[in-house]
Amino acid sequence: MSTYLTETRYPLELAPAMPDVWELWQRAKTLEWDPEMDIPWEELHPERYPEEHIMAARLHWSRRTWGEYGAISESPALLLRFCLENRLPDLRFFFTMRTQEEGRHAEASWLMAERLGGYFPQPQNPPTVSAVGTHGVRRMAFDPDTSLEGIFASLVCAAEEILIDAFKATVHKASNPAVHRLMELILRDEVRHIAFGWQCLDAWAPSFTPETVQNIERAVTQMIQNVEFNGYRNLWLAIEGGSATPVEIDADRVACEAGLGGTTPEDEMRIVPQFIKKIRARMEPWGVKLPLFDHPKLGKV
Amino acid sequence: MSETSDRLLRGYQAQEKRFLERRFPLRFAPENPTLRELYSQAKGLRWNPETDIAWSRFDPGAYPPPVREAGRLVWSRRAWGTYPGLGESTALLIRFCLESGAAGMDAKLFLSFRPAEEAKHLEACFLFAKRLGGYESTPAEAVARASNQPFAQMVLDPDLPVEAVVAALGCLDDQLDLNLCLCHLQHSRDETARQILRLVAGDKQRHVLFAWTLLGERLPRLDAASRAAVAEAVRDMLERVILAGYRNTWLLPAGAREPLLAAEALAAEHGLGTSTVAQEKAVVRATLAQVRDRLATWDVALPHVDHPELGRA
Repeated sequence: MSTYLTETRYPLELAPAMPDVWELWQRAKTLEWDPEMDIPWEELHPERYPEEHIMAARLHWSRRTWGEYGAISESPALLLRFCLENRLPDLRFFFTMRTQEEGRHAEASWLMAERLGGYFPQPQNPPTVSAVGTHGVRRMAFDPDTSLEGIFASLVCAAEEILIDAFKATVHKASNPAVHRLMELILRDEVRHIAFGWQCLDAWAPSFTPETVQNIERAVTQMIQNVEFNGYRNLWLAIEGGSATPVEIDADRVACEAGLGGTTPEDEMRIVPQFIKKIRARMEPWGVKLPLFDHPKLGKV
Repeated sequence: MSETSDRLLRGYQAQEKRFLERRFPLRFAPENPTLRELYSQAKGLRWNPETDIAWSRFDPGAYPPPVREAGRLVWSRRAWGTYPGLGESTALLIRFCLESGAAGMDAKLFLSFRPAEEAKHLEACFLFAKRLGGYESTPAEAVARASNQPFAQMVLDPDLPVEAVVAALGCLDDQLDLNLCLCHLQHSRDETARQILRLVAGDKQRHVLFAWTLLGERLPRLDAASRAAVAEAVRDMLERVILAGYRNTWLLPAGAREPLLAAEALAAEHGLGTSTVAQEKAVVRATLAQVRDRLATWDVALPHVDHPELGRA
């Protein structure tokens, strides 16, 4: 063990220093739920849906599972970074719950796919793996040249915010009670995750240097162009198209129209531009200027 | 960012790059029913230090000031010993994801819960220390040195089999931690201290079971070199970490331990959630015998140690 480096750990402060973030930690503890117990699975009734709808919903929820798994596999690296950099205790406490919640979302999404008829453990064509596999947060978290502010802005304020915007805009369409409840529960957790990111960045903004601002601009731009527009969340948005099959690309729309989760292209046409406009305005007071993004289906956003 | 954290981060970065994560096919169905059951139990047995401990019934005035002072030091020390769990269990989750790729979901789901459980233990220690007069954030130098071990980095070391990590941290250190916790519970009279220790022990029991279950599944399949690495990691953990006072104040070097030892003795006398040195010595000996016997069933030897404070164990 002597070959490893020892962190500078003390003084080990544990008293709350960011009351809003501490409150999120407290709320997370009181709002825990169990995918096995807290979703009305008996109201799912997959037998009431035609095969095409079920297949689409299975694809949608399998894909969600892969995405949520990324949050178990990658973003916990941020907690290690908080510890190494001796960040405020509020961040460390809250992030432990976030890891737990992402695990719960992955399990819940897997259960949904399973109970709809069967979870798919991989995309239909392997080449789409790179698109859906990773958002690169672990690499960023372990990279001292990528600022924590940039990671927060790209992971939380961009990647998670759009996810939630899509959920918020479409949860009412999920007419199936089990799907609806699951979306509500995930949404409830994710709202805290996003609040965490914005609260931290708002608090740190007065000390942003021009380099920090550039770092944020670069990280958010990459997350939108290379991850969101690469189909990480929704294959219909993938600029390259990849090797996803037509059934996979259309799955979100079909599932959504059946009331089983997902979004339609029309939803995306509305949600994504609004989202980009929103975060552009939200980050502007920090001095962050996000560029216009070109997307073949969305236009200039 | 300090120079130290920068170097540490680059160390993690270099370690991470040596793994090749294979994410698909991503299997979620249970493979090990015991591990999945431990995960289910973690979900069902969740608790909240703020609301599930009857803080309002704790009357600090029931203890004279020197006893309160002793108690706050004891529970601060416990926080320092709990804190590493946040990093090491997070690192273990990442290690499993990097290494096991599509498989091992039972372990990953279980480990996704563990950092939050460690954080709850930490918060409980902090809250109790606070009520006893105030949490102490800075240990004496010797305690700081003994309690600050680079476990997270060890966990992410690709040259060390993950089984060796689990054996050293889970089967030895977590087992000792659990046994000490149960000993403190047995000898505590303060209602709040007992409540905290009971809730914490419930979680720790799962953490230890996780380690033994995982090892039971994997050790029989390991080759001789990996098995030797397991034995070496456990021996190293014992000799250079545990016996250097990581968990037990009386194992710290003489001259550096006296104030904390006196505090523990006074807190133990008043039943405030700790044990006497004699009681802890018995726990350490029994734990080493227990771990040695269990590892022996897989032909992993943990040699006896001779230590001036412990004798032969």
